[in-house]
Amino acid sequence: MILALTRRIFAGIVTLLLVYTATFVMVVSIPGNPFQSGDRNMPREAQQALRARYHMDNNWTFYAEYLTGAIHLDFGPAFTYSDWTCNQIIASSLPVSMLLGLLAILIALLVGLPLGVLGAVHRDNPIDFLGLFIVILGISIPTFVTGTAALTLFCVYLKWFPVGGWGTLRHLPLPALTLSLPFIAYIARLTRGSMIDTLHSDFIRTARAKGLAERTVIWKHALRVAFLPVLSYLGPATAQAMTGSFVVEKVFGVPGLGQHFVNAALNRDAGLILATVLVFSAVLIALNLLVDLLYSVIDPRIRGAL
Amino acid sequence: MIRNLFVICVALCLALLGFFSLTHREPRADFTYVNPSGIHTLDPARMSWLQDFRVALNLWEGLTTWDPQTTKPIGAAAYFPPEISDDGLVYTFHIRSDAYWSNGDPVTSHDFVRGWRRAIEPGTSADYAFLITDHIAGAAQYVQWRQETVRTMSALRSKEQNDAMDSAIRACANQLPKRFNRVGLQTPDDKTLVVHLKTPCPYFLDLTAFATFLPIHRSIERLQLRYLGTPLTREGLIAFDPQWTKPDFHHKGYNGLVTNGPYMLGDWSFKQRARLVVNPYFREADHIRCRTIDMLEYENVSASIMAYEAGDVDFLTDLNVPYKHELVRLAQTGRRTDLKLCKVLATQFLNFNCQSDTVGGAKNPFKDPRVRKAFTLATDRNRIVHHVLASGDRIAHSFVPPDVIAGYTPPQGLGYDVDRAQSLLRQAGYPSGDALGTVELLVTAHSVRLGEALAGMWQRDLGVRVELRVQESKTFAQNKAIRNFMIARGNWYADYNDPTTFLDCLATANGNNDSGYSNPRYDKMLADARTESDPQRRAEILRKAEALIVKTDCPILPVSHSSELIAIKPYVKGLYPNPRLWFPFRSVSVER
Repeated sequence: MILALTRRIFAGIVTLLLVYTATFVMVVSIPGNPFQSGDRNMPREAQQALRARYHMDNNWTFYAEYLTGAIHLDFGPAFTYSDWTCNQIIASSLPVSMLLGLLAILIALLVGLPLGVLGAVHRDNPIDFLGLFIVILGISIPTFVTGTAALTLFCVYLKWFPVGGWGTLRHLPLPALTLSLPFIAYIARLTRGSMIDTLHSDFIRTARAKGLAERTVIWKHALRVAFLPVLSYLGPATAQAMTGSFVVEKVFGVPGLGQHFVNAALNRDAGLILATVLVFSAVLIALNLLVDLLYSVIDPRIRGAL
Repeated sequence: MIRNLFVICVALCLALLGFFSLTHREPRADFTYVNPSGIHTLDPARMSWLQDFRVALNLWEGLTTWDPQTTKPIGAAAYFPPEISDDGLVYTFHIRSDAYWSNGDPVTSHDFVRGWRRAIEPGTSADYAFLITDHIAGAAQYVQWRQETVRTMSALRSKEQNDAMDSAIRACANQLPKRFNRVGLQTPDDKTLVVHLKTPCPYFLDLTAFATFLPIHRSIERLQLRYLGTPLTREGLIAFDPQWTKPDFHHKGYNGLVTNGPYMLGDWSFKQRARLVVNPYFREADHIRCRTIDMLEYENVSASIMAYEAGDVDFLTDLNVPYKHELVRLAQTGRRTDLKLCKVLATQFLNFNCQSDTVGGAKNPFKDPRVRKAFTLATDRNRIVHHVLASGDRIAHSFVPPDVIAGYTPPQGLGYDVDRAQSLLRQAGYPSGDALGTVELLVTAHSVRLGEALAGMWQRDLGVRVELRVQESKTFAQNKAIRNFMIARGNWYADYNDPTTFLDCLATANGNNDSGYSNPRYDKMLADARTESDPQRRAEILRKAEALIVKTDCPILPVSHSSELIAIKPYVKGLYPNPRLWFPFRSVSVER
């Protein structure tokens, strides 16, 4: 077990290094000057001085220095927002995204799982169709539409919540709900599919033959097995939700990490691009590992085969 | 098990919400506004965005400032007007005896020299350093020397000659005071600043209100980066810990940002909010009605409009939304009196590539002024400005916007005349539009509509094949700067209240001359204007120079003079729409 864990951690570090190298190559090869802002051209001398200051005048030293910094968890200065370091930017925005993402995933589980189970149990009934309808809405309507619609209805007309922003409890529900919609849909579909399979398996027939109540059969015996595909989806889904959604953040004015993925790339902010990509990859790898650990807790068959 | 999972989920949810609700939230500020693109930097020397300038000029105060209604220069930290020598070359400013920093220190002339010097140092890499080097005697020579030393250091570093580099840094550090003494800035005493100009500058008092000319408190020196005990970094640059703009940064005896304006920075959280509070030492602090100002950041302008509609925000600027034309219509028909259009000192235009023979392998026909003129004549600006863009802009027939700069009336450029355009093309050796080959028009994603309208017009009237190249803004900027285009969209925002802020862009050696236009006659006229002391004769020379551009040589095609849309709640008093979009909050009052 310990050996397996060590191997996984080692593999994770190698993956991070590869991700770093690939991103680095892309960052230094795209055209565009990170230091220029607006319509004014930058004098060549000023550009050279800045490149020297950020050690960008030599790609090899920049690669090595940034990597050394990243190993010490210091991602250096942000180029576009020169008053802030990448660490400060991530420290201020990652907790926001994590809170929102975690809430969204929890909502998605609380709604998506029962929706999927009901759909499987009442297969091809109106209940199933209703679930399917919600799922299709969740998957096919992009969050910038649902978000804007929710904002207009609940904030502008009904005035139940403040219009965007961050800082109080009332700022939370709408972005969290909007962010959870696609996850609800996926979780419900996954649960329904694997639940249908499970309900046909032998051990369920045995459980029913034993005379167990249908409720116990479904919610205790069947769901435990049917939950496994959902669990493996939860790893990447949580990583994705917790590192921020550009769209939801933009619509609701949430100061999360998602906006920096897009803006850093648009601004050619090499330091911040690398920092955000590394943070996202690290969270993704860590959560996948966590999911695999949870697997062995839920499914005894997998124990030892990490 | 599943039940446990649900219990855990719900418990986690509640715990998260509980934790979140405990976080502290201050009460609403007296006045709230939205800064559309957020703060890029609060270092006044490094600023290049209007949104940043606006915050800086409420936090700091220069020697002069602009009247919010007329935008003419008025007194600020120095008594107004200063003493000006008869030849217009020496300005003597007397700093007010009641000018104080937010920590109670008096504002001195040394604070100004510190700020201006920082702005021209290569280590600061200020976009607007040229405002100082172009005007103040000896500044350009000092910067040139500094750049040479930095280059030497860089060469030594790349050869890894560390000993030579160390001695070069020491030598440079030793020479620094002597070299800087040659710059035309003198401080005979703590309250007097004498400025020597290179040439007379009729708009110098307008410049001294600009963010690049703000003073910096001496506490910043505690954060100077030093190598070998010199005031230089290992790269030979003069640089400071960039954290100095934070109100709560305490390090090596530095106690957070100190400013000398009506407000000081109370709190600043990245991409969320900056709170300004009244500077208790400001001379008129007791008369300022809005004691706290919140500057919010919304990534999405539409969300900020909704927040304004819901009453969470009192004031919005730069409403650049896809439905701006709808808002402009509401404002112009008087249905929304809180929406106001400000004519701004900005021009949207097209650059013709006047220099390169070929672009991307194809022959560039725009080297010939007749072709540039033909395209200008074949552009129906009335249609573009009023029907295609419809965002409240004005038709541009000149580079400098009319009736905004006092004492200058720009010449009337070429109008819409298809017949003349076609005959000019024939004269240039292109009997039909086809003969030109494919003409490339380079635009950003924001100006696709403009590009499509132009392409359609030229195709119809001149019979040319136009290919629209749409590029993301950074790629676009790079291609524009290296002149990899035939026609490229341009936009220019005035830096100061004088026609030269536009006209200098087309001078031969200017770094913003994207079209590569070069005419010795034009350069000569700009040089003559520089030495002309009579304002009327000067304006006449500049008018002739501009006429050369918009009537004869046509290196650029002016399209529109921009307008910005702002929204002010009716209960907000003391905010005036003006062409510089300069909104001092000290005169604002909120009567809800």
